[in-house]
Amino acid sequence: MNTVIETENLGKRYGDVVAVENLSLRVAEGEIYAFLGLNGAGKTTTIRMLLGMIKPTTGTAHVLNTRVSLGSQKPWASVGYLVEAPHCYPELTVEENLEVARRLHPATPPGAVGDIIEQLRLSPYAHRRAGNLSQGNLQRLGVAKALLHNPKLLLLDEPANGMDPAGIVEMRELLLKLTREQGVTVFMSSHILAEVARLAQRIGIIHNGRLLQELDIDELECNRRRRLLIRTRDIQTAQSILLEAGHDIEVLQNRIIAVKNGYSFEHSDDIASLLVQGGAPPTELILEEEDLEQYFLRLIGVNGGQNE
Amino acid sequence: MNNLWNMLWVELRKTLRSKVPQLTILGSLFLPFGIGFLLFIARNPEISRKMGLITAKADLMRVTATDWPSYLTLSAQMVAMAGFFFFCLITSWVFGREFIDGTLKDILAVPVPRVTIILAKFAVSAIWSSMFTLVMYVFILIIGGIFNLPQGSLRVIWQGSVLIVVTAIMTILVVFPFALLASIGRGYLLPMGAAIITLILANVAVIAGWGDYFPWAVPGMYTQAMLPSGDSPGVASYWVVILTGLAGIIGTYYWWKYADQSR
Repeated sequence: MNTVIETENLGKRYGDVVAVENLSLRVAEGEIYAFLGLNGAGKTTTIRMLLGMIKPTTGTAHVLNTRVSLGSQKPWASVGYLVEAPHCYPELTVEENLEVARRLHPATPPGAVGDIIEQLRLSPYAHRRAGNLSQGNLQRLGVAKALLHNPKLLLLDEPANGMDPAGIVEMRELLLKLTREQGVTVFMSSHILAEVARLAQRIGIIHNGRLLQELDIDELECNRRRRLLIRTRDIQTAQSILLEAGHDIEVLQNRIIAVKNGYSFEHSDDIASLLVQGGAPPTELILEEEDLEQYFLRLIGVNGGQNE
Repeated sequence: MNNLWNMLWVELRKTLRSKVPQLTILGSLFLPFGIGFLLFIARNPEISRKMGLITAKADLMRVTATDWPSYLTLSAQMVAMAGFFFFCLITSWVFGREFIDGTLKDILAVPVPRVTIILAKFAVSAIWSSMFTLVMYVFILIIGGIFNLPQGSLRVIWQGSVLIVVTAIMTILVVFPFALLASIGRGYLLPMGAAIITLILANVAVIAGWGDYFPWAVPGMYTQAMLPSGDSPGVASYWVVILTGLAGIIGTYYWWKYADQSR
C-alpha cells in the first residue's frame, strides 16, 4: 500500500521549548489515522509542519510523495485540511466563503460549492453570513471547505469539535464513506477518544512532542488492560487461594481483588469455582476492560488511566 | 493569469462585503468637507470671531487656500498626510485581517502561488486607496467650485489634478511596507503605530534636510511643486519611493512564504 504521509525525525523547537521531537510516522493510503495527545502535545504543530506552514527544525515530511517545504504549491490541490478552530470571513455568506475556497483551488468546478453545501446539510444557511453561524455549523463549514475540491488526503484537527451528537455521528459516517468509497486518506487529531476508537484504523499517541506509540486498532485490542475484579466477604482467604493458584493479584480500595492475568478474564467461571471450593465464594465478579481513553491516559502516565 | 483574476475576485469580494471600505470612503469625504468648512469660516470673519480655536485654523486657510493653485496644493498635502493614514489603514486591513480573523491558514496550503495571493492583496489595496483619492478629489473640485476660488483655469485644474494623482500614487507606494508590518505584527496595531512614528520622522527628515531620501517625506515635498516658491524633489527621490514600494511587496512576499505561520 502506498504511503501518503511520511515523516522522518520531524522536530520543531521554539528556543528552549521542544514542540515536536523526532517524529517518524507513516500513514498508508486509504486509512484513517488518529493522532492523539493532550493539549500542547504537539498535534497541531505536526499538522502545520505537514502543511508547510511551519518550518521543521529537524527532519523531513513527505505528503503525497512530495517533500513539504514552506510556501510550496505542490501537493495542495489534493489535500484538504482543517487546522484548529474553523475560521471564515464573517462578513461573507456560507456560499461566498465556499466560493473563496473554490477559487483557491482553481481546478474545482463551480458546481462543487452547491454540492458540498448539500452534502454537509448547510443549505438552510447558504445565504447566511458566516459570522452568525453556530459553532457546530461553523465546524461544518470548515469541513466543507476541506472537502470542496475532492482531496485525496484530509488533515483534520478535531473535526467533530463543537458538533452535537447527531453531527458527530454524521461526521463519522461521512469520513468512513470517503475512505471506503473514494479511497480518501484521513489524518485526524481528536479528543473524543470513543469516536476515534470507532473510526480509526491506526492510532499514533503523542506526548510532550514525542510519538509514544503507533498501533493498529487490532493491536490496541491486545494491549488493552483487562482484569477480573472480585468482591468477597472473606478477602484474606480469597487472596491466599488466588496466590496459591499462581494468579497475579492486587487488592484495590473498597476491598476488591483485581486478578490481572489474561487467563482470569477469559475463565472467570474457573476462578469463581476455585473460590467457592476454597471457602471464600465471590459475591460479585466484574470483567473490566480498559477503553481507549484509559489506555491513552495510562500510556502517558496520567492518573485517570490507573483504574484504581 | 487565471489565478490572479481569481484572487482579485476573492480580495474584492472580501473588501466590498466589509464595512471598513465604507468607513474609509466616509473619511475621504471628511477631508474636503473639513477644508470647505475652514474656507467658509475664513470668508466669514463674524462667524470666525465666535469660534475660538477653529479661527486660527481658518485664518491659516485664508493665507494658504486663497486661489485654486494653493487650494489644490493644500488638498494634495491632505492626500500626503491624512491620505497616508487612511492608506495605511486600508493596507493593514487587507493584510492584517487574515491574522485577526484566523483565516491565514486557509490561504497557505493551496495550489495558488503565494505571490499571486500577495499581488492581488496589493492590487486591491491600491484600487481601494485610489477610490478613496477619487472620491476625495471629486468633492475637492465641487467645494472649490462652490467657493468660486480665483485662478480656476483648465490648465490650473489639470496641473492640480496631476499633483493630487501623483501624490496619491507615491503615497500608495510608500504605504506598501506597512503590509509587511501588518504581517509581522499579525494585525493592525503595529502598522498603525508605525504610521504615526513615520509621519513624525518624515517631518524631522524634512527639517534636517534629508527629506529627498526619506521615502515617506517625498510625497509631502512633491505637493509643493505647484507653488511659485515650490521646489520638486529630485529624480532620486522618485526612485526612493518606487524602491520602497517594491521593498514592501518583496518583503511581504518573503514573510508570507518563509516565516512560520502558527495562526
